[in-house]
Amino acid sequence: MDRETADNLIKLFQGKLNEAMRFYLETCTRCGVCTKACHVYASMGHIKYIAAYRHEIVRRIYKKYFKRRGKLWPSVGEAKELTDIALEELYEAAYSCTGCRRCMVYCPFGIDTQMLMSIAKLLLIGANAEPEILTMLADTSIEKGKSMEVFKEGFLAGVKNLEAEVVKKWKIEAEENPIPVEVEGADLLYVALAGAHSIIPAAAVFNAAGENWTLSFFEAVNFGAFVGDPTKTKLILDRIINEAKGLKVKEVCICECGTAYRVMKQLSGSQPFKVSSITEVHARYLREDRIRVDKLKFKEGITYHDPCQIARNGGVFDEPRFILQYLTDDFREMSPDPRYNWCCGGGGGLVALGEDTLDFRMKSSKVKVSQVKETGATILATACENCHTQLSNLNDHYQMGVEVKFLSSMVADALVQ
Amino acid sequence: MSEEIKADKVMDLKGLPCPMPIVKVSKGIKEVEVGQVIEAQTTDPGSLTDFPAWARTSGNEILKTDQDGEAIKFFIKRNA
Repeated sequence: MDRETADNLIKLFQGKLNEAMRFYLETCTRCGVCTKACHVYASMGHIKYIAAYRHEIVRRIYKKYFKRRGKLWPSVGEAKELTDIALEELYEAAYSCTGCRRCMVYCPFGIDTQMLMSIAKLLLIGANAEPEILTMLADTSIEKGKSMEVFKEGFLAGVKNLEAEVVKKWKIEAEENPIPVEVEGADLLYVALAGAHSIIPAAAVFNAAGENWTLSFFEAVNFGAFVGDPTKTKLILDRIINEAKGLKVKEVCICECGTAYRVMKQLSGSQPFKVSSITEVHARYLREDRIRVDKLKFKEGITYHDPCQIARNGGVFDEPRFILQYLTDDFREMSPDPRYNWCCGGGGGLVALGEDTLDFRMKSSKVKVSQVKETGATILATACENCHTQLSNLNDHYQMGVEVKFLSSMVADALVQ
Repeated sequence: MSEEIKADKVMDLKGLPCPMPIVKVSKGIKEVEVGQVIEAQTTDPGSLTDFPAWARTSGNEILKTDQDGEAIKFFIKRNA
């Protein structure tokens, strides 16, 4: 690594050093409580996947450039220089971590591995060593925000093709629009993913609830967050914030995408609208008797996988269980407790990297497979696109014999007209 | 009458959810020479906006988009 690159990376590192980050970097006592908290370590058994080991990869660079002992006596201070090998270690640590924060729940000091891995990811970006697919996806999202008018026609054509499927799930009057777009003054802006499965069931439920809603032009997912680029994360987020403000909506509802929900909920700041996940909105419709569902629609036992970004990192635990009370008498909670739920193994951008990470994702998620199997359920519901893809891959790979379903699709399929 | 475009590589991406069509096309286009064309077949409605935005950022060119119901075909020329 040349000097200029190293100097640039040190500046990037310094920019991440707020008090919380310094606390995480200086507090670990190597007590080992986090050892078995990581699904990757629990499934594969390599010490490099223990949370404290991942921390140490970042911490040693911190010691080298930001601590006196590391600067003066690197070998005594366990300090490590920024080299190409160090970058490879940062990559291994950051892109084998899904950011599920299960280790943080176990850590007696609450050391946030995801935050430490955000340093690793930023250094990789600074060295042009991040996964280029994630940057490409982030850039594509940003481009759509810059030139919305250019892409509008294609978007509207795509949406038009979905209308008949929406009406099949919930009949509406002929003069009504099954998928409203650009409705100024709508109460709710729904931000979907760029796929029919994310739009059709949601639209049917909104229509059934009599919601005054409108569909966002933009996909919810924030690839800037996956790759750990704060600038791109904000640009992608701002597209939706500006759209919501322009339409003067009261609520932004994020589809079943964990990262999209966490980023919008926690990083959008004070706005003239509230942020909800679609799970929270569906629970509200049921609570307020705005929709009715058929409890006999699903006859098999159902279990629910809490997406880490929505539950442990987003605080939405009760709503999916509230919804499931209306869908089944045979709900089978996973063990351990939802707050200690095992990650599916697909977060942190790993699913978006597709086949490149498939082998690792399968090997690193054996504990999740066992956790699901122990319930005996044959329907595995979840509320996140990444989780759904990863759980479907696990289901195929390990022949788990379950049907992986989106919770919102189950609500739509069980609607009583 | 529009000129028919001959593809040097056909990618069947039907049934794949977002972002996989773009992920696969961004890799697949590197398997043809600059100036050659790939035909990408998708069913994901999001690709109608994803593909043009990706083409802009990657420097490649969408020569033609055919849509027949759910089925969408993009003819993409590798420029970069």
